[in-house]
Amino acid sequence: MKKWTKLGAVISAALLVSAMAAGCGSETAPTEESKVEETSSAAQVSSADWDDIAAKGKMTVGITYFEPMNYIDKDTNELTGFETEFAQAVCEKLGVEADFQKIEWESKEVELNAKTIDCIWNGMTITDERKENMDISVPYMENKQVMVVKKDNLEKYQTAEDMKGAKVVAEKKSAGEEVAQSDEFFAEADYLSVDSQAKTLLEVKSGTADVAIIDYVMSIGSLGEGSDYSDLVVVDGKDFAPEQYGIAFRKNSPATLEKVNAAIQELADEGKLQEIAEKYHLEDLLLVKPANEATNSDADATSEAAASEEA
Amino acid sequence: MEQFWLVTGKLLEGFGQNCIIFGVTLLLALPLGLIITGGSMSRFKPLRWFTRTFVWVIRGTPLMLQLFVVFFIPPLMTNGSVSFGRMNAALIAFTINYAAYFSEIYRGGIESIPKGQYEAGQVLGMTKAQIFGKIVLFQVIKKIVPPMGNEIITLVKDTSLSSVIAIPEVLMNAKDFSMSGLIWPLFYSAIFFLAFCGVLTVVFSRLEKRLNYYKG
Repeated sequence: MKKWTKLGAVISAALLVSAMAAGCGSETAPTEESKVEETSSAAQVSSADWDDIAAKGKMTVGITYFEPMNYIDKDTNELTGFETEFAQAVCEKLGVEADFQKIEWESKEVELNAKTIDCIWNGMTITDERKENMDISVPYMENKQVMVVKKDNLEKYQTAEDMKGAKVVAEKKSAGEEVAQSDEFFAEADYLSVDSQAKTLLEVKSGTADVAIIDYVMSIGSLGEGSDYSDLVVVDGKDFAPEQYGIAFRKNSPATLEKVNAAIQELADEGKLQEIAEKYHLEDLLLVKPANEATNSDADATSEAAASEEA
Repeated sequence: MEQFWLVTGKLLEGFGQNCIIFGVTLLLALPLGLIITGGSMSRFKPLRWFTRTFVWVIRGTPLMLQLFVVFFIPPLMTNGSVSFGRMNAALIAFTINYAAYFSEIYRGGIESIPKGQYEAGQVLGMTKAQIFGKIVLFQVIKKIVPPMGNEIITLVKDTSLSSVIAIPEVLMNAKDFSMSGLIWPLFYSAIFFLAFCGVLTVVFSRLEKRLNYYKG
């Protein structure tokens, strides 16, 4: 008995010590090396971010599955979608391979910083907070929040008065939640957050909630004939929180950002971007226009802003 | 019907990941747990305290958090140059976590053997190794089978926690279907866990019967 425990003690002590030694060795040493590398390359040119990706020969694209942006096609069993094809087209222009990695949406910033992905390309809404933490591409698509209800309730929720006591669900930390909590229309409603947009639809379908607030883009992919949610509809004329989609890169990725933005404009000029969008019925939402239609999307945005100010 | 097979295939593919985590964790955590038991029962106080603190930390923090720590901390500390990869990180976290639980079950089993059993061995002139190998060990095994069965069945279901570091396991695949408007796969995925645990339950009850030669 004692012998056995002693033997165990010796083995475990040896293991623990070696594990600690290994841990110290592998963790501290590379940190310092990479820090030195980082500072020296930052001092010269700031294209280190792109050099990393070019050296790998591939850009690891962080995605989650949601139709029509990134999803598995039921017939071919392959990844497809607007963002998938868009990312592939941009990567082709940049001469690297697009390597798609599914992630958990809540961990996207950590994944980016841990370099387990190089970008988030998943219909991501541009917000001030995200702009501060990540480098974000030109806005390429617009989106808005819409209300989804059961078909029978289509006429029921038209005014803020109608919303009194209605159970409203949205995805935690989503733009939909923002709307539910701050828009006056929902002031009298009971709000509940769930952990995914898909679950909001499940709540409405099962009757545990009355109204789901989700992305318009998501509603294109999830509702409609043939899906389990065909008894749910988008309430017409009730749009909230117009927003724009962008691709997010690690902070301090100026070279990558410049290359990707240029590639997006090129794709728009060639008409390829429109082509991909039409395939997924998203062409009306595109923000990047071919150079001959508008000088560029920035000018477009400014003129729109000016117009709305006048109005 | 075609849809049923498509979903079943996709979920089976995911359940393969669960099975890998289950199998490897079991294979590594069973012996590792014994080593930890050795540490926590050691007469050498610093080692005993160290091991018990380790067990306290592992059992006292959520497995979900441990998965995050193992997967994200190395690349975050090294600017991306050291990374285990998703599956390896999951295997490491699960193995350490379950080894800590197993070690306490082993310790409980060993400490529950009455002193008289050792004394009887001594009277018969057996060495300490003989006493442990021939008298104590099999009684311990018999005693720990039910709690181990419990823990191992929990492990089957815990494997789906690996989806937090984006391992495409069965529940995650099922959620993806619900994302694209198909709800039933989410509930159908329960069948896979139920079947697996059913098999384990039978295996463990057979094992208990076979170990029934000691009474008391």
